[in-house]
Formats: sequence, structure tokens, C-alpha cells
Amino acid sequence: MKKYTSLDALLEALPLKDGMRLSFHHHLRNGDGIINPILTKIDALGYKDIHLSPSAIFPSYTSIETLLKKEKVASITTNYLNGPVANYLALHGSETCLKMQTHGGRARAIIEGENSIDIAFIAAPTVDKTGAASGLYGPSACGSLGYAMEDVAHAKLKIFVTDHFVDAIENPQIHHQHIDYLLILDSIGDARGIVSGTTTITRDPIGVSIARRAAQLIEDLDIIKPGFSFQSGAGGVSLRVTDYIKAYMQRNAIKAKFFSGGITKYHVEMLEMGLVEKLYDVQCFDLEAIKSLKRNATHHAISAHDYANPNNPRRIIKDLDVVILGATEIDLDFNVNVTTDSFNTIIGGSGGHSDTASDAFVSIIVTPLLKARTSVIKTRVNTITTLGKHVDCLVTERGIAINPRRKDLIAQLKNSRLDIVSIDTLMQRATAYTGHPKETTHKGKKIGVVEDRDGTIIDTLHAKE
Amino acid sequence: MSRSYLFIPGDVPRMLQNLDVFDADAVIIDFEDSVADHNKDEARQLTAAFLKRYTFHRPKLYIRINSTDDLAHCKKDLASIKDLPIAGIVFPKMNVERLKILESLWAKPIDILGILETPDVFFEVLSLAKNPHVKGFLLGAEDLTKALNIDRSQDGKELLFARSQMIFAAASTNIEAIDTPFTDVLNEAGLIEDIKQATALGCTAKASIHPNHVAFINNAFTPSQEAIKASKRIIAKSEQTQSMRFSLDGKMIDKPVIERARKLLKRAKDYGVL
Amino acid sequence: MKTIVVGSLESSDCLITLQPNENTEINIESTVFAMYGEQIQKVLTDTLKAHNIENIHVLCQDKGALDYTIEARLITAIKRFKEAKDES
Repeated sequence: MKKYTSLDALLEALPLKDGMRLSFHHHLRNGDGIINPILTKIDALGYKDIHLSPSAIFPSYTSIETLLKKEKVASITTNYLNGPVANYLALHGSETCLKMQTHGGRARAIIEGENSIDIAFIAAPTVDKTGAASGLYGPSACGSLGYAMEDVAHAKLKIFVTDHFVDAIENPQIHHQHIDYLLILDSIGDARGIVSGTTTITRDPIGVSIARRAAQLIEDLDIIKPGFSFQSGAGGVSLRVTDYIKAYMQRNAIKAKFFSGGITKYHVEMLEMGLVEKLYDVQCFDLEAIKSLKRNATHHAISAHDYANPNNPRRIIKDLDVVILGATEIDLDFNVNVTTDSFNTIIGGSGGHSDTASDAFVSIIVTPLLKARTSVIKTRVNTITTLGKHVDCLVTERGIAINPRRKDLIAQLKNSRLDIVSIDTLMQRATAYTGHPKETTHKGKKIGVVEDRDGTIIDTLHAKE
Repeated sequence: MSRSYLFIPGDVPRMLQNLDVFDADAVIIDFEDSVADHNKDEARQLTAAFLKRYTFHRPKLYIRINSTDDLAHCKKDLASIKDLPIAGIVFPKMNVERLKILESLWAKPIDILGILETPDVFFEVLSLAKNPHVKGFLLGAEDLTKALNIDRSQDGKELLFARSQMIFAAASTNIEAIDTPFTDVLNEAGLIEDIKQATALGCTAKASIHPNHVAFINNAFTPSQEAIKASKRIIAKSEQTQSMRFSLDGKMIDKPVIERARKLLKRAKDYGVL
Repeated sequence: MKTIVVGSLESSDCLITLQPNENTEINIESTVFAMYGEQIQKVLTDTLKAHNIENIHVLCQDKGALDYTIEARLITAIKRFKEAKDES
């Protein structure tokens, strides 16, 4: 392990070259303090044709936009992006520029050498003298480092960047043999941006109404049994569904086997109440989740590979009974878009959407049917993030649709009192309010692709007109 | 029969066009307290436009008009709702005197749910209950406690007389006795306790000012599975013995008990839990 | 004469502003203009016509209001406009 306290000195020592592929993880989210200084310096050193593989791009990662403007970027491969970089690409991207992957797909591509990383810059909230690292401690603690683990294991060079260098870490998440270089900075992040604090249970009456129907659907599908497994994102509606399921579990004395994915204080509370055996945590969404990783032996930080790599037969999500997911658009074939809006603005990406929808026994989309005058159901989604064949149920405030492929679920719900109709009927219910929208499918030039977890290209991304 | 009556403001499109997604049995579109004076015309116009375009089997719809004390608005309210497909009006500050004024103003009679929110009305509820247009009472505890210069408490003892008086009068002519809304929006435990008071005393329904309260109310006013089971056994034995007087599990069952079991099963059927 | 303002800029609502003008003019700003701009224009034009209103400037700032809302907001505005005119 070579140790540096100056970024300039480190970069001088690294075998930087044109055309290199650099990776970063996004666990520090909008509070990340390493991506901008590193890329700004690399830009100043004059390197070009840079391939970037950050696991996600947040609005604060503005140095990427600067590099794009200077035409120094050959390609970007990522799982999720929004903000200035997304907006720049949607206006000025080139055909080969952007590849959107899934969390599981990124792990697969790195492990299998498809995405061969030259240098991984790993923000590490704590590193010890042996070179072992942990996300649990230090001023920039972020908890799980799940999305960095494949970069750590497979990049040609691994640079750990920390602001908390200690004698020894008791239970490191990353062991010392992985580290090539260590850079110690004054600060690697802004804690306020790391845990956003936006993960709260929705109180919006329509969101509550949708969550109540989703919870009843899960109940009617008879899935909440001892030993079941469940994943919900940190969205307010998903968390409200989780809250209803918690109440059901308490009433009926049911204990779940595991919850997986991004973990919040609500999941931790259920773990500590004894409602679930294990948490498999690929990403901590709040401070309570980070604290819980320290004190709860049954709260496990896991890698993206263990979480969702489709070629890993032991991946956690393979055993998921239910996953609750969102949608920006969904179409009559149940294809879901969470990548762009209807005008080609990039607003996010799959993250684990496609991974979990593909693997879970039942995937449930929760979304308002109507947001003001806009219907979530389209004849055809603008961008496919998750193929309709993986999407089983759509729950809205104005009814529920089950994918006709899931005859088993439809049979199971035969006596349900829920308002279950075809997705065409749901779309008509929406149109009765909105009227027929004028078709606005003007697509600009191609700026990238959407890659499913197995490497298949399932859609193309286009520039805004 | 309705379990839940949800108030929504008459001048907010986002609430109005979603009035059917909150699972309330009845919705009260408000022209009174939740609409500012200078927006009353907007509420009337918006509600009329909405109800002319969209029709609903469920929920049952009511409009809360302005009180006869506010005569100009009350008259305009009555004019604007007269052709709308609603089940009735909710009438604030009802007492015998104001009801007479209302009856002198309307072009044709309309069903009334009267809000009991002034101290005097509790001494004339029985005569109001006998009015053929009055189909129910709704307790307005906020204004009532203000008039009495007291605070509302968690156990609701200060409302015991008002609730009971309303329930007794309503029961005498078999009309609705709708409990007051619980106004501490985020306090779920308090809401559940408040609903318990209402059901224990004999309210037939409860109003709410927040959509998130509706599910709790519906749940509490829906017959439980145990009650359904017990009622089914009573009806079965009555049919089997062809008798209106028999003993079951050591308890005497007679006609009123059988009637009550029958009513409970009907409600269970209406609410889809049978 | 005073400017008349009705409605709001809340989601699913619209803000209608009326002013006397030399001819009839309609301006629309809408979050869903690409899909519903023409329909909004039609509702506004039809409503003005039904109430025999001319020589007026209508500004409709729309936040995804449904047709019934746009129509109701404009009718309320027209009524207030006429009242103000009668008073002056």
C-alpha cells in the first residue's frame, strides 16, 4: 500500500493514460467529495477519451459535465443518473456515449471483464494501517459499500480515498489485500448529502390509498407467511406498504426471513422488533441503518454481486417473494420506465428495478394512475427500463391490473374484493379524466442504450428535441 | 348506511377529482369553513362543473352549505346545488330556528344532515329528528367546545352528553348519528381511541377531515368476523327451529336480538365482509 | 378596470387572469402544453364564446388542470369581470 496525502502526488504516481476506464461508487450520494476533485485534476493533466463507470451519477457530480463539455469523455456506463450530467447528455450526448445498466448487471459486467476498470477510486469512510476499509465509521460514514465491492475486487488498480485513517478496524468490510494506493484527504464528503433524510413514510392521501391497496393485494396473494422475504425501496409509498405489512405481521405473529436492498430506519425497527431474521443491505438510506449495521449481527452489508448479479446462483434476490417498485411510465405490455420522462429528460435509471422485478416471485408496481393531467399508463413507454414480462402487478389509486402472463396470480385473486381490471381498462379510466393526449413521440438522435442485467440491449436513449 | 363521512374543500381540484379514491362511504364537499369568503364563488363553480361532468355510484355525495347566519352565501349555495346529483346537504349550526329559515329559502326540499355544534340545539334534537327532511345528525365538537370554552380531551368525557343526546334522538327516528371528526391529524392512537368512544356509545358513523382517517373509521364501523359468526348462528338456529324465541349457548334469544343479527349481516354484506 | 385573478398555481389547478383588451387574446402557459395545449385553447375559446365575451386578454397558467377546472375557473373569472364592469 502506497500512502499519499496529496491528490497531485497520487495522480503523478498513477499510470494514467488516454482511453482509461475509471470507476467510482455512489454511496456518498450527493455529499460525495472525491469525484469532482479527482476528475478536475485529471482534466487539468490533459487526459482524454476517458471512460467513466460510476455506479450512479448525482446532481453534485458536476465535474463530469465539465469533462463532457470539453469532449474528454469517451463513454459513461452507470446505473442511475439525474441532474446536470443527465441534462447535458439528453441535449448533447453522442450515440456511443451512455450505457445504462442495472445494479446486478454492473456487477456481472465488471466480474466477467465486459466492463474492465483500469482504476477504481473508492471513497472509504475509514481505512486502517493495514489497508482494510469500512463504511461504518468516520465523519463520512455511509454504511454498506455494496456497490463498490466489485470495483475493489476486479479493477486493475484500486485507490482508497479516506478522511479517517485509524490504527485498526475491528470488522472491516474490505480487506487489506485489495488496496494498491491510499489517499488521505481532509474530507471525502459532506454528511448532509450522504444521508438525505428523505426516506419517510408517505402521508399523501393518494399515496396512502395506493399503499393500502398494495398491502391488501399482498395479503390476498397469501404471500405473508412465516419465512417470507420482501424488498421495498425507500420511496414514501413503498415504505407505507412496508408499514401495513408490518402491522399484518404483528397481528398474525409472522416473522420474515429477510428484507433486502436499500435499508432504512423502518427496516431496522422491524429487525429489532423480531419481525424479520436478517437484513441484506446493499445501501444504507439513513443514519439509523448505518448505526444498525454496527450493532446488529443479523444486519448484513452485502455486495452488488451477492445482491443481484444474474450469473451468481446464490444471489439474494433470487429468493425474494415480493418486491415493491415505482414507475414513471408503464405501458399496455407492462414495460416500465424509470429512466426518462416523456420528453427524453433522463431522470434516474434502473438501479435494482429490473434485477428485482426479474427475480422476485411477485413484482408490484405502486404509482398514482394520474399525476395532475398525466396518466402513468402509456400505449408505449418512452424508454424501457424493465421488460413487461418481469412486471406482475400494477397498483394505482383507481384500480389494480395483473399481467395476463401471471395466470397463477389471477387465479389466486379470484375471490379478492380488490378492484382488479385489465390494464387497458385502467388506461381508459385515466383517459376519462385526462382526455386524449396529443402524441409527442419526437425523438432526437440516439445518445445511448439501456442494457438489461444479462447484457441484452433492451432500448435506446434519445436526445431531447 | 355509511360508515365514514369525509370532508373535502370545494375549491381544491386535486381533492375534488380524487374524492372517490379514499374509500369513504360518503364525501361532504365543503363550501363553508374550509373555503375562504372570497373563494366561495370559485368553490360553487368548480364543484358544479365537476359534478356535471363526473357521476359516482360511490361515495354518496353531500355538500356542506353555509349557515343561514351567512344568508347571502347560503342563498347562493342553495341556488348553485339545486340541479346537482347529490344525496343531500350538510347544514351547519342547525337548530329549529335556522331549519325554518332554510326551509323558507329552498326551491324544493332536500335531505339534510344537520351539524349539532351550538349548545342550544341539544335541547331540541328530538323535534329536529322528527323533521322528515333531517336524515341525520353530525356532531361538531370543535365549535361546540369553543362555545363552552373548554378543551377537548383524549377520553372525550366533555362530549359524553352531546354524543349521547345526539345518539338517543337519532335512534328515536332511526336516522344517522355521525360522530365529530378527530382533528389531531397525525395522532393515530388518539384517532383509534376516539373512534372507540363513538362506536361504544352508539354512533352509526364518523366524519373525518383527513382522508387518511377513513380506513380506520371504516374498519371500526364494519362488523367484526366474530360478530358475523355469532349473528349467523342466531339466524341459522332461528330458521332451523322456526322460532323467534330460543336459547343459544345458555343465552335467551328473542325477536329484537334476531332483528339485530339480521341488520348486522346486512351491513356486513353491504361492506363486503360477508 | 381591475385585473381579475381566479384559481391557483397548485397541482391540478390553473390560474386565470383576465384583463380588458382591444381584441380577444389567449395566452397559455402549461406544464402539459405539448399534450394538451390545443385542448386547453379550445376550452377557453368555447367558454368565452358561450358567455359572449370579447375584447379580453386571458392568461391561463396551467398546472395540469382537467377541462372542468379550466372551464370553471374561467366562468368564475367572467362572472367577477362582469360584476366589476357593472359596478364601474
